[in-house]
Amino acid sequence: MGEMEQLRKEAESLKDEITAARKAVNDASLQDTVSGTAVVGRVQLKTRKTLRGHLAKIYAMHWSTDSKLCVSASQDGKLIVWDSHTTNKVNAIPLKSSWVMTCAYAPSGNMVACGGLDNMCSIYNLKAKDGNVKVMRELAAHTGYLSCCRFLSDSEIITSSGDCTCVLWDIETGTQKTVFAGHLGDCMSLAVSPDFKTFISGACDSTAKLWDIREGQCRQTFGGHESDINAIAFFPNGNAVITGSDDATCKLYDLRADQELITYQDSSIMCGVTSIAPSLSGRLILAGYDDFNCNIWDSLKSERVGVLAGHDNRVSCIGVTADGMACCTGSWDSFLKIWN
Amino acid sequence: MDELDETQMKNQVESLKYQHQITREKTSVTIPELVKWVEETMTEDPFLNSELMKDNPWVETGKCVVL
Repeated sequence: MGEMEQLRKEAESLKDEITAARKAVNDASLQDTVSGTAVVGRVQLKTRKTLRGHLAKIYAMHWSTDSKLCVSASQDGKLIVWDSHTTNKVNAIPLKSSWVMTCAYAPSGNMVACGGLDNMCSIYNLKAKDGNVKVMRELAAHTGYLSCCRFLSDSEIITSSGDCTCVLWDIETGTQKTVFAGHLGDCMSLAVSPDFKTFISGACDSTAKLWDIREGQCRQTFGGHESDINAIAFFPNGNAVITGSDDATCKLYDLRADQELITYQDSSIMCGVTSIAPSLSGRLILAGYDDFNCNIWDSLKSERVGVLAGHDNRVSCIGVTADGMACCTGSWDSFLKIWN
Repeated sequence: MDELDETQMKNQVESLKYQHQITREKTSVTIPELVKWVEETMTEDPFLNSELMKDNPWVETGKCVVL
C-alpha cells in the first residue's frame, strides 16, 4: 500500500509543479491583448447544397484535401463519398457493421476509413483497378469502440477508442506501431497537427492531450473542462488547440505557453458541443451543438457572431474545407449541408 | 476511472515527469504572435473576405439552360 501512496503523492506533486510552471509564464491574457480589436461583423453563411441520401443518423463526415469531395458515415450502414459541388454520390459503400461512429478521407484521396462499435478501423481502397470499392484492411486490436480516425498517409492511420487509448497503425501490415495510453476515460476525438508530427486527443476524463507521434509520449495535458471533450481540432497555425465539451463550452489552449487562453460560452447555451472546426484563419470557430444549431464564434473576442440553423436534429459533425471556402455540417436528421 | 493499478500509476508519474520538463514560452510572447498570425491570415479567409467568395463553386452561375 505504501508504494501506491508514494506514487499518488508524487503524481500530485508533479501536477502542482506543472500548475506553477504554467502560472510563471502567464504574464498576458488574450482578452487584454485584443481589447482594442473590434469583434468581426455578423457572419451569415447560407446553405448552398443539401446532400440527401442517408437513411439514418449521420455520425461523421470528413472533407477530402481537394475541398470538393467528402465522405460521410451513417448508422444506416453506409459510407457515402459525395461530390459536394454537384451533390452526386461518387461511392456508396455498404459497411459490415452499421454501428459506425467515425470516418476519414486519406490526404491522397485514395482511401477512406471508418469504424465504430465493432472496435475496428476498416480501410477502403477507392482506387482499385476493377473499380469496386472493397475493404483493404481491418485494423483490430482496440478493446473499445472506435470514436475517431485520421490518416497520416496511405500507410499510416491514427485511431482513438473507448478503451481510453489512441493507436498509430501500419496499414500495410495491419499492425499497431504505437499505443498512446494515459487518458483516464474514453477517447472521443483526435486531430493531427498541420506538420503531421503531433496529434491531440480529447477524452471523457475532461482532458485533451498532445502526443508526439514518433516518441509515443504525451507532451502536454490540458484540463479545465468539466465534462467529456467530444470534439477537438488544431488551430490552423498548429500552435493552439480548440476543444468542444459536454459542459456546453469550447476552449482555446495555447501549446507554446501550455495553458488555456479563453473559454467560449454563453449562459443561454446549455447543451453539449458535438463538433468543432476553425475557419482558414482561425478567426472564426464553428461549433456544432446538441440543440440542432452551430454557433460561429469570434475566436479572439470570444463572442458569438453567427449561427448555422437548418438542421432538424443534433449537429453531429462539422468540417471546413482545406481552402476555407465552405463548411459542411452533418446531422442526426440524416442530411449534410454545405454552407458559405 | 480512479482505480489505477501500480503499473498505471508508475506510467502516470513517468508521463507527468516528461510533461513537466517541456519548455513553456511566456504568454506575452505567444499571444501577440497568435493574434498577429490570425489577423494576417484573415485576408485569405473566404468566410471573412467576400472578394474571395466571388467564384463560389457551390453556387450555380449563369442562366438556366433549356435541355
